[in-house]
Amino acid sequence: MEKSFDLSLVNDFISVGILLTAIALNTLERLESCVKAYTYNSWLLFLLILVPAVTTNNPHLYVAASLTLATKGIVIPLFLRKIVYQQKLVHQVQPYISNLLSLTLSGILITIVYASLSKGISVTGFSNHALKISIAVILIGLLIMITRRKAITMVVGLLFMENGLFLTGFSLTSGMPVIIELGILFDVLMCVIILGVFIIQIRHKFYSVDLDKSTTIHDQLTTLKG
Amino acid sequence: MENIQFIIIIFFSPLIQGIIKKLKANFQGRVGSSIFQPYYDLMRLFKKEMVVSHVTSWIFRVAPYIVFVSTTMAAIMVPVITTKSTYSITGDIIVLIYVFAIGKFFMALAALDAGTAFGGEGSSREMMVSILVEPMIMLCIFTTAIAAGSTNLAVIAEQHNTILTPSHMLAFFAFMIAIVADTGRIPVDNPDTHLELTMIHEGMLLEYSGRYLALMEWAHYMKQMLLFTIVVDMFFPLGIAYNGGMSEIAVSFAAYGIKMIFLACVMSIVESTRAKLRVFELPSLLGGSFALAVLSLLTLIMIGR
Amino acid sequence: MTSMYIYYFGLLLFIAGAIIPLIYPQKMKRFAYIFPTVGACAFAAFGMYLLFDHPLDISAVSITPLLGFVFRGDAISGFFILLISILTFSVSVYSMGYTKNMANKGVMGVLFNTFILSMYAVILSGNVITFLISWETMSIISYLLVTFDREEESASAGLLYAIMTHVGTAFILTAFLLLYKYTGHMDFAGIKEATNDIPAGIKTIVFVFAVIGFGTKAGIVPLHTWLPRAHPAAPSNISSLMSGVMIKTGIYGILRIVVDILGVGPEWWGIAIIVIGAMSAVLGILYALTENDMKRFLAYSSIENIGIILLGIGASMVLASNGLHTLSAIAMTAGLYHTLNHTLFKGLLFLGAGSVVHATHSKNMEEMGGLIKLMPYTAFFFLIGSVSICALPLFNGFVSEWLTFQALLFDFKSASAVAKLIAPMSGAALAFTGAMAIACFVKVFGISFLGMPRSQHAENAKETSTSMLAGMGFLSLFCLLTGIFPGHTIKLFSSSVFLLTGADYSSSGMGILSMREISSSISPLSLFIVMISLFIAAVFLVRIFGGKRKITYGNSWDSGIPSLTSRMQYTATAFTNPIRVTFKKIYLSKRHTKVSYALKPYFAKAIEYRDDITPFFEKYIYQPVTDFIHSLAGKVKHLQSGDLHLYLGYILATLILLLIFWS
Repeated sequence: MEKSFDLSLVNDFISVGILLTAIALNTLERLESCVKAYTYNSWLLFLLILVPAVTTNNPHLYVAASLTLATKGIVIPLFLRKIVYQQKLVHQVQPYISNLLSLTLSGILITIVYASLSKGISVTGFSNHALKISIAVILIGLLIMITRRKAITMVVGLLFMENGLFLTGFSLTSGMPVIIELGILFDVLMCVIILGVFIIQIRHKFYSVDLDKSTTIHDQLTTLKG
Repeated sequence: MENIQFIIIIFFSPLIQGIIKKLKANFQGRVGSSIFQPYYDLMRLFKKEMVVSHVTSWIFRVAPYIVFVSTTMAAIMVPVITTKSTYSITGDIIVLIYVFAIGKFFMALAALDAGTAFGGEGSSREMMVSILVEPMIMLCIFTTAIAAGSTNLAVIAEQHNTILTPSHMLAFFAFMIAIVADTGRIPVDNPDTHLELTMIHEGMLLEYSGRYLALMEWAHYMKQMLLFTIVVDMFFPLGIAYNGGMSEIAVSFAAYGIKMIFLACVMSIVESTRAKLRVFELPSLLGGSFALAVLSLLTLIMIGR
Repeated sequence: MTSMYIYYFGLLLFIAGAIIPLIYPQKMKRFAYIFPTVGACAFAAFGMYLLFDHPLDISAVSITPLLGFVFRGDAISGFFILLISILTFSVSVYSMGYTKNMANKGVMGVLFNTFILSMYAVILSGNVITFLISWETMSIISYLLVTFDREEESASAGLLYAIMTHVGTAFILTAFLLLYKYTGHMDFAGIKEATNDIPAGIKTIVFVFAVIGFGTKAGIVPLHTWLPRAHPAAPSNISSLMSGVMIKTGIYGILRIVVDILGVGPEWWGIAIIVIGAMSAVLGILYALTENDMKRFLAYSSIENIGIILLGIGASMVLASNGLHTLSAIAMTAGLYHTLNHTLFKGLLFLGAGSVVHATHSKNMEEMGGLIKLMPYTAFFFLIGSVSICALPLFNGFVSEWLTFQALLFDFKSASAVAKLIAPMSGAALAFTGAMAIACFVKVFGISFLGMPRSQHAENAKETSTSMLAGMGFLSLFCLLTGIFPGHTIKLFSSSVFLLTGADYSSSGMGILSMREISSSISPLSLFIVMISLFIAAVFLVRIFGGKRKITYGNSWDSGIPSLTSRMQYTATAFTNPIRVTFKKIYLSKRHTKVSYALKPYFAKAIEYRDDITPFFEKYIYQPVTDFIHSLAGKVKHLQSGDLHLYLGYILATLILLLIFWS
């Protein structure tokens, strides 16, 4: 009992760290830093899995942890960095709204999540806050996607959402079967690669990765139809 | 006797035409040609050489025969002086209307075959008139058929031998207008004209000559007499023989002759006193008579007679 | 048991016909059509078996107690199976030649075979699920066939067709669900047994929905708009199948649901069907007349004929609800007879039109002319089709129209004054359509086959291949046979009539069709014999009395103008002008004349004349509905701006709302 309490405290710390990286994303202006925030986020996620893996000595959790580290912690960040440098997208995240407003909205989201989940699901064993935090991270990731213009920022937002989802699943089931995790990780990897290719392609075609321009495609389509 | 009564139609139909022409001439203060003139015309035409357009196809050459044969077929089906025979063959009046339609169809096709504007014009106008006339004829037939309980012309002729009912009166007037339209008489069509813009029936026959023309004309006379006969059978069957007895047939024949001459008089009076209507005024005339036919049906439903 | 083997044999042939072109697209041109030719014979035998023998459960694959595939045949389905088989046989033979130079032959072969199979499946379906799946399959495959040419016109026609047919299916589905709810059965037989449990109000709703749903497929008048666009868009062998049999599945549906399952209803049901039929017949033929596109013209004429079929069925329903079952059987015979006839002659005419379009590369009649000399056999078969559809005696159309007239006259025996008035008026409408049909087909045949060629293409037209002629010849022969042997034909499907009305119409002999009830009879056979002998007699007598035929060939009468060109002929538009003017209230026609002068006002350089008719239903019913949906969509469109961020915003908002309301 005592041990698990300690564990839950550690887990809470790590979860809060995950939330903090997500919140920090709201204020970052350099794309490089965004990618960094994601890297930290993934490492924290790795730690979160590693803790129960060590305590329960469960081999499949080891596998899950190492896979998380390998893909989310190393491969994807490297790939994103490469795109960022290759495309010279170093600066200017250019949100629709100011950083302050974005931060406030994130706060409101977190409040709503905490308020609505306080008496909801009783989290079994793992961590008191992990579920709430994970959902908050999903929503913040979504918010980032909404409020940012660049395709690459949206990818980052998507990745945060994915981490949030991963955390949700983990906190509810204390680890999914390894095959599912494998599948998910592979999916995410593919997703990021494809999106990367898309970003390059969009840049190629429209000389910009600004998604505001995508509405013009839509307009052209409607004029064609009309 | 009863099986060859259609011969009467075949051989007397030019005479009816001659009588109408003679009466018309008299009304107009002319002496006019002999009442046998149509016979002379037909005989002359049969002997004459034909001029046929090289544009035409076999439709053009077959059409006169089809028109003639279908009209003869119609004549076979109609009880002329006795109602006896037509039970055995098919004396159905709806069939009769459709047998006429065969002739109409091929005549209109033949008119288009030569590729001239006159033929097309005649054909087109004939179709318009027939579209307006057909429903009217059918309604009149329905009124009499419902009252008689059969669409067999012989049965209709036998059952309504005594008196005209209100619905029959209305149907009769509608039917008379239909006949005027269908036989191509004033005010619908002018049978004597060869002026391009006014002709309907003549326009269709413009390319025909010689024996083809003779067949077409003869069929036209027969159709006219047949329609008169149908009127007589439907509305004034008084005197018609029920069986093949010689004396009855003699009486019936006399009655029939009188009725035919009476109808010829009516036709010539109508032709002499009316002016030809413009083509696009026809719908109002024929629409009016359609209203009469509907009225006759309504009368039948309302008062049952 | 033999019948089952025949059935499976036929089924196998069609499946083989569908698969082989997939494997050997190069060598398919024989087999994709030889297989269905034989398969159609097998199915024809199977249909005959159903008509003469007992109903048959073919196969049932049950998935759950409620869901499962049930195929079952009875006399009603047997009749329709026979129709499909006869036309499939001819169209398959025809297609061997027709598809020779077609692009995507392999796909055509596959779709052709599956299309026919899906129609068989619709007819043989024994429960709701099977029926709906087959029905949808048929709709989808026919949609693919409509858009087969990949032209813009076919695409838009296909879209309209897809929308209309799905609206129709929605109504059918609702009708079926209502039946299921009140009877607890998915099986047609089960539903039929439990019909007494259905309240009268629900029955009425089912009736209305079934008529709307199946009527859409059949092409009854306010729901017909897809038909004249979709049928001509498909390749002609498919148009023939669509107009010949696919729209009959709508008739089958009405018969199955309304007459067979719901049984005898109140009198107004029948009157409603009669009114719909009369309206479809009159408006269909009116619109057909103005059409110069040969295939579209035929499609409009299909609407007319569906109307005539419905007149017979409606008359039968009125008589049945008055308890006059024998007369009801006669009226139903009229409806089914015309269904058969329309399959034969409309199939034939579409095949003929296909040959003509194939030869002249145009659907426009104004560019044809003089084809009777270049394509004599096609012209002859087309003439037979025209004569049949105009209901001229000796051919089949006449028999069914005569029966329909009689059926409408019988309705005068019903109790209510409404039926007494409606029925003869519909008879007048039928007479009107008859006269209109004659005008229409005089126009089509006269303008496209007679006279002088109106275009270069028409001058160079060539007679089509033997297989195409054989397909048409077979149908022509059937048109004549069913025209002069009505007794045999009626005996063929008297069991279906018995199943539908509970009475028999069997007072028919060899070539005679007699009705004891009204002491009237027709004998097309004797008519045929008498007319042939009269014809021979006439020819001989004329020869004897007139002497040898003396003919001088010359030009047509040209009023003294030296050369008559093909442009001086009466055009199709001119031909219909008097009728268009007469019925301008219906056509709502607008004419524009533009004259450009060389010297005003005497020397006109060019006169441009346009005469457009307003398609009433499209403009005043469909257009407002479409506009409304468009404006609604325009308002909704703001939601869908194409902005990715906005979409994500919707997701976020939804999530937050869910969170709030969930807790």
